[in-house]
Amino acid sequence: MSTLRLRGGRIVDPANGIDGDLGDLCVRDGRIVELPAAEAVDHEYDVSGMVVMAGGIDLHSHIGGGKVNLARMLLPEDHRINRRSDNPLELASAGCCTPGTLATGYRYAEMGYTAAFEPAMAVSNARHAHLEMGDTPILDHGAYVMLGNEEVFLRMLAEGQDVERVRDYVGWAINATRAMGVKVVNPGGISAFKFNQRKLDVDQDHVHWRITPRQVVQTLARAVHELGVPHPLHIHASNLGVPGNVDSTLATMDALEGLPGHLTHLQFHSYGTEGSRKFSSAARRLAEEVNARPNISIDVGQIIFGQTVTASGDTMRQHANADLGSPRKWIGADIECDAGCGVVPFRYREQSYVNALQWAIGLELFLLVDDPWRVVLTTDHPNGGPFTSYPHLIRLLMDKSFRDEQLAKLHPEVAANAELREIRRELSLYEIAIMTRAAPARLLGLTDRGQLGVGAAADIAVYREDADREAMFTTPEYVFKDGALVARRGRIEATPVGGTHYVEPEFDRGIERSLARYSEAHLALSYRHATISRDELCSCANGGALLPCRLHGRAERPA
Amino acid sequence: MTATLAPVGPAASGQTWTCPFCPLLCDGYTLDASRPALVDSACPTAAAALAHFGAAPLAATALVGGRVGGQVVDAEQALAAAADILAASRQPLFAGLATDVAGMRALYRLANDCGAILDHVRGDALMHSTRALQDRGVFYTTLAEIRNRADLVLCLGTNPAAHYPEFFRRCAPAADAVQGREIVFLGARAAAGVAGLEGCSTEEIPLAGDLFDTVALLGARLAGRRVGEVPPVLEALVTRMQAARYTVIVWESASLPAHGALIAEGIQRLVNTLNRSTRAAAFCCGGGDGGYTANQVLTWLSGLPLRSGVHARGLVHEPLRYATDRLLADGAVDALLWVSSFGPELVPPATALPRVVLGHPGLGARLAPREGQDGGQGATVFIPVSTPGIGAAGHLFRADGGVVVPLAPIHDDPLPTVAEVAAALCARLARRRAIAGGAQ
Ligand code: SF4
Ligand SMILES: [Zn+2]
Ligand SMILES: [Zn+2]
Repeated sequence: MSTLRLRGGRIVDPANGIDGDLGDLCVRDGRIVELPAAEAVDHEYDVSGMVVMAGGIDLHSHIGGGKVNLARMLLPEDHRINRRSDNPLELASAGCCTPGTLATGYRYAEMGYTAAFEPAMAVSNARHAHLEMGDTPILDHGAYVMLGNEEVFLRMLAEGQDVERVRDYVGWAINATRAMGVKVVNPGGISAFKFNQRKLDVDQDHVHWRITPRQVVQTLARAVHELGVPHPLHIHASNLGVPGNVDSTLATMDALEGLPGHLTHLQFHSYGTEGSRKFSSAARRLAEEVNARPNISIDVGQIIFGQTVTASGDTMRQHANADLGSPRKWIGADIECDAGCGVVPFRYREQSYVNALQWAIGLELFLLVDDPWRVVLTTDHPNGGPFTSYPHLIRLLMDKSFRDEQLAKLHPEVAANAELREIRRELSLYEIAIMTRAAPARLLGLTDRGQLGVGAAADIAVYREDADREAMFTTPEYVFKDGALVARRGRIEATPVGGTHYVEPEFDRGIERSLARYSEAHLALSYRHATISRDELCSCANGGALLPCRLHGRAERPA
Repeated sequence: MTATLAPVGPAASGQTWTCPFCPLLCDGYTLDASRPALVDSACPTAAAALAHFGAAPLAATALVGGRVGGQVVDAEQALAAAADILAASRQPLFAGLATDVAGMRALYRLANDCGAILDHVRGDALMHSTRALQDRGVFYTTLAEIRNRADLVLCLGTNPAAHYPEFFRRCAPAADAVQGREIVFLGARAAAGVAGLEGCSTEEIPLAGDLFDTVALLGARLAGRRVGEVPPVLEALVTRMQAARYTVIVWESASLPAHGALIAEGIQRLVNTLNRSTRAAAFCCGGGDGGYTANQVLTWLSGLPLRSGVHARGLVHEPLRYATDRLLADGAVDALLWVSSFGPELVPPATALPRVVLGHPGLGARLAPREGQDGGQGATVFIPVSTPGIGAAGHLFRADGGVVVPLAPIHDDPLPTVAEVAAALCARLARRRAIAGGAQ
């Protein structure tokens, strides 16, 4: 049994409505507990004057799996310049926009994050994704399985199969791949590109299957909801990056018909066609819609200037964007009748009108959506920029004068005209704590994470107060993972293996007979390998804890 | 969806099995474990590889000493001697690396402990595809996509069935595929009687010059550029590629000559050009003996692919300089850790350097004899290890990149896995460091 006490900190814990109260936080065996002030503990830390929050949770970060590793292979130049850490706890691992998994774990933990979720796990690539996440030290992790482009699913839709049957399929796929949720990427569009279709609007037919993205979104959102998966359908909408895509984004929201949906990297889907350049911000329009629709949550996918690489399942859009890449090289793939992949290096430039506006749009979304519980802080790592830029992003959101300084450096038309100039809002520490831990935990259904109430897991970040919020959030004084000190002032102190979050929805196993038949007739992997068992997950995940997540509406049910 | 399928689960005459002996990782055939041999595949590669195993686990002992029939030692003595070699080395090379995911995970830790350079036995072939990818990128496809989509399969300079015997069965057209499939062997023989070609038309077309010239010619014509004399069959092939709905260009990295990366880039250009108007993708046969697995695991852990070194100053990636042969010839390394867990045939390269060999039990007897040394310069330690898919579970990457296939053992093996040996060596090196640190 081991105990610790953080004494005299300023606790910011929005999940429990605590906003800067002074107090002690105690931990026993990795969980937050109440201890009498007089009780001796094994370790006591004086954190007076410091801000105490739950560990950060990144609900959308490409940390593991096929396309991330392809991005590493594509860009040795991102990894060549590196220095071996003098810390014997760190194994060598390099890279900025797509660091090795080891460096990913170290850098997240040093920044006060204790969990990250891979948002785009292909069904056929699930083992690979879990292997990489298992080699990402310290962080707990999980993944959303990409559905909505598998030929088997599109065929079911085209054949007009019952919703129950489709729901069983979705339940099967979540279980088979050990996923935490479901992401749909360019609904139907990845498949359509394989049939040489280059554009697919929300109500346009897939050239082969004759179904629409609207149907795909509707069907998946309903299945995810009815299966009791806590995280709403995670939606990468149609027409990513296309000027004027605000219309398809709104149509996608409509397709939900009130069901919960999480629109991811919304910045890339918030473009109008106004002005002489036919490229404008639609952030206000979208933010107002989000404000008016309580079923919608978003993450932003803020862009950060500099070199990065975009890694996406959206082959259709990545192929279209490949010529804009820098350096000029790219990777694409058609994958196993269930997915695609496109990896395009990108350099966001301050003097580019488009990039500058993208930057402004992201910040506008953050600041114009009223309810911080429905906005999660992301850069869509690495697509908008590396996760290591979060402290910079936090400062942009908390500090209007800093934001104005940055804006002034950008393409003059954007600097002069962006709506962002008029937005006075500065986010509070409380709101930042919501967007970086409490809200993602709630949106994922993680009841004992992202908060510091009694019984919660002791994932804790302690920050030294600093008016420069970038400095403050870059180097927390202490970071604890399940009660163990894992980082101190930017230095790794321990590298425990993280756990895997996943859900196990119930479904009618009768579906497996037809899936096995389909697999034998069309796929290239034996059906007996379609499902990752718990034991196999454990070995992929390097022996980390298995953390099955409670389903919605299931706890109350009699056994 | 018609019932065309074999029963899921073990067949009556044997057990369904996943073959680890080439990167197709066939997982749909049946193994008679009593011999062991495949029942429903005539794959000569698998047959030859399985001949190195018995119905029961192989007996094997560790050896220490410089020559065939070196001194038999117990496992602890072997580990101690191996740790001696690694501890004494200033720049070790980890090569061969014919192992699975778990093996590579553990070897990377060990490489951090000793500052090793890592290369794979198929490193030269792997570098053709890796360097082309680093310079230009790639657009690739996978087996199931070929099954369902490909109406034109262009085998460039190779018949993939020669080294990947079940290739055509593994990507045979789906039963309900609407379109037919043409298979063109460009500069390669369409071997008769290969399973999986039923219902496909096949054709041989000669190269125009060498492979590089031919790819360049096709590239120019696809891009609409006029170039001297073009043989009519190639001109017709260009037209067919443009008309096809989904062309797959199959090539084999090991069959390319020294400037193979340039050919690989040329192939990529063909695919990119086609993708501006229709659909196409490449499929590279390569990555055998755990090559893709080693490359993937090293890349995700470190950020850099094979032929990288974990040095005190940081990670260094040298796709040419860190080739095993070159490092040995340059005298740039002073010890060799050789890993070959799939069979006895991949022997370490000739070298007088001290070496630690983790290998199939039969490999010990094949280690080249050396002039009488034991210990110190020229020492050899052989530690027999289990084979993933025979004596141990494991994971390997299939040839098409993203698919990881689990391997299950066919019998209980008393031999340790590569991962276990590497972890034991890490523990020994750590103990030595602790003792050395304590003595200061
Ligand atoms: S083709 Fe390769 S994987 Fe398939 S049985 Fe033969 S050796 Fe094994
Ligand atoms: Zn996305
Ligand atoms: Zn993303």
